[in-house]
Amino acid sequence: MKVGLMSFAHSHAASYARVLSRLSGVEVVAADPDHDRRPGETGGPALAADLGVDYVGDYPTLLARNPDAVIVCSENADHRRLVELAADAGVHVLCEKPIATTLTDADAMTAVCAAAGVQLMIAHPVRFAPAFATLRETVLSGSLGEVVSLVGTNNGRIPRGERAWFVDPIAAGGGALTDHLVHVLDLLDAVWPQARVRSVYAIANRLLHPESEVETAGLAALHLDLASTTSGGGPADRRLPVVIDASWSRPASYPTWGGLTLRVIGTGGISVCDPFAARVGGQLESMQNAAWIPYGPDLDALLLREFLAVAAGERPAAPDGVSGTRGLAVVLAAYESLRVGQPAAPRA
Amino acid sequence: MIGAGNIAHEHLPAWLALGVDVVVYSHAGASELVAEFAGSTAGTLEELLGSCDAVDIVTPTPSHADLALRALEAARPVVCEKPLARTSTEAKRVIEASEQAGLPLYPGHVVRFFADYAAMHDAVAAGTIGEVAVQRFSRTGSAPSAGWFHDDAQSGGVLLDQSLHDLDFARWNAGEVATAYAQESAADGVRSVQVLLSHVAGAISFVHGTWARPGTTFRTTFDVAGPGGVLQHDSAQHPAVDTDRGDEPVAEKGRGLLPAMPDESPFRTELGEFLTGLRGGPAPRVSARDGLAAICIAEAAQRSLVTGRAEPVETVEVLE
Repeated sequence: MKVGLMSFAHSHAASYARVLSRLSGVEVVAADPDHDRRPGETGGPALAADLGVDYVGDYPTLLARNPDAVIVCSENADHRRLVELAADAGVHVLCEKPIATTLTDADAMTAVCAAAGVQLMIAHPVRFAPAFATLRETVLSGSLGEVVSLVGTNNGRIPRGERAWFVDPIAAGGGALTDHLVHVLDLLDAVWPQARVRSVYAIANRLLHPESEVETAGLAALHLDLASTTSGGGPADRRLPVVIDASWSRPASYPTWGGLTLRVIGTGGISVCDPFAARVGGQLESMQNAAWIPYGPDLDALLLREFLAVAAGERPAAPDGVSGTRGLAVVLAAYESLRVGQPAAPRA
Repeated sequence: MIGAGNIAHEHLPAWLALGVDVVVYSHAGASELVAEFAGSTAGTLEELLGSCDAVDIVTPTPSHADLALRALEAARPVVCEKPLARTSTEAKRVIEASEQAGLPLYPGHVVRFFADYAAMHDAVAAGTIGEVAVQRFSRTGSAPSAGWFHDDAQSGGVLLDQSLHDLDFARWNAGEVATAYAQESAADGVRSVQVLLSHVAGAISFVHGTWARPGTTFRTTFDVAGPGGVLQHDSAQHPAVDTDRGDEPVAEKGRGLLPAMPDESPFRTELGEFLTGLRGGPAPRVSARDGLAAICIAEAAQRSLVTGRAEPVETVEVLE
């Protein structure tokens, strides 16, 4: 199978390249023609050489190599252009999250992929974590009883150090809420695909990294409507209150990038999932910092394994573009809530 | 001491350890309580008020204000378990009475006296993380067994009873609160409330309170972040004593409404500081106005539960 990497703008591109390079029977070709938009950052043929992947100078050339699938790692606002190129070429797509920065773009992307008959999958690796699978099974089996409260946290360092566009309001579409709400929302979608967020109340500030143009701390309170959900674990006729902390609230010296947790409170008990908790701790002179040596499965590898199965036609993409679009609608409702100071409803 | 319930079992030994003679008046349980620890009992409220120098109110929430007013009328300083009163209106009346009488009035916001929380607040106040930007507090305990807790008219629910601690602490760390938004859910006696706060100075806070399945280990967490770093704690981590007895339950894990307290009882720390204040020493770290402010935040959150909107928090003028 041949996989094209479209753009190195997202720092995950390097991780994907490394994972794919290790897989037998997978050929990787990359293009990063817009790397001069990111002066002073890694990219283009030099990064491809570092990663040991084949490189071409533009996307038409990459698509002319007839890849079976592509991974879109451009800036959020540029996802649509590249997904449309891939769909036109009849190639399955894994697109970085969030799917886009506007619903117009997201709708166009899901439509063009559907029309072209290609799969559009969104890159949410955490749903493939075994720890999350355990939590999901615990909830759906009903062993937590009826779920009454759910809290997700996705905190990290400000990603500016890796790629400046992450804090650019146009290229990224927003700050911490854009970057982090969607990961927790995807986990909710993985547990209850039929559930819908009916209202979003968000508060945010820029007290961390005040020079930033985008919000660096953000909290969102949601009502998740489980009414149309028939599987176990959830209330049949009530809205589940959910809070997500999306803040970039880990300092620059934090010993790891951040983390994600999900805490589910039910009538039968409480379960907390922390897929990034497993690590060897301690203290390292070389780091002048706490040791944080993670172990356990590589979630990017699990994500790509699933995507390759999707590209091979084994099953439809999950999470797909429609799911990603629902997540984006919640993010945009959070910004609307910030604007009006009251809850806002995501587009149905 | 008025009352002989759960918290009385923490307050009485704390007072005794501080060398205070305690007289207990209660509708029920006073004799059993003093039999378990020490102290004497009073047959009537009048008898109690006539035989003490200060009053400690550890009754259910709805009687706090009336008993505080009775004590102040009798010229007795008052220590009152939180909430200071069932409503902000009642709390204001009690504060007014204490100020007119020139008598101390201290609300029992004991979390300010827990060593872990106090250490965090001291670090925040010392500027170690800079200005607070975003903070999370969670508090989870086995749903209380006494019936009055589950009658919101009496207890104010999870918000006014349990989450009040964290609403107070969020304000202590990050200053006055401008608006509160809350959502709540309950089933089979398990009840959970989520509150988002916008502070006047710009910080944002999330307070999560849960009355969980009976038998649930009491657990608290916080995560307080500013430009200079993040301070975190989870009561389930770093235990000073950790005992495994197989199938047998272990007392120090914390059950019901109280966490494990392996070191000095935070109630003793609290009442010791109140005692110093009662004796004319420095004012305690928590004032009656703080108690009122916490109730005002909880009431904004309660209104939010009804309206589904973010609600402004009534401003409490802070007097010297």
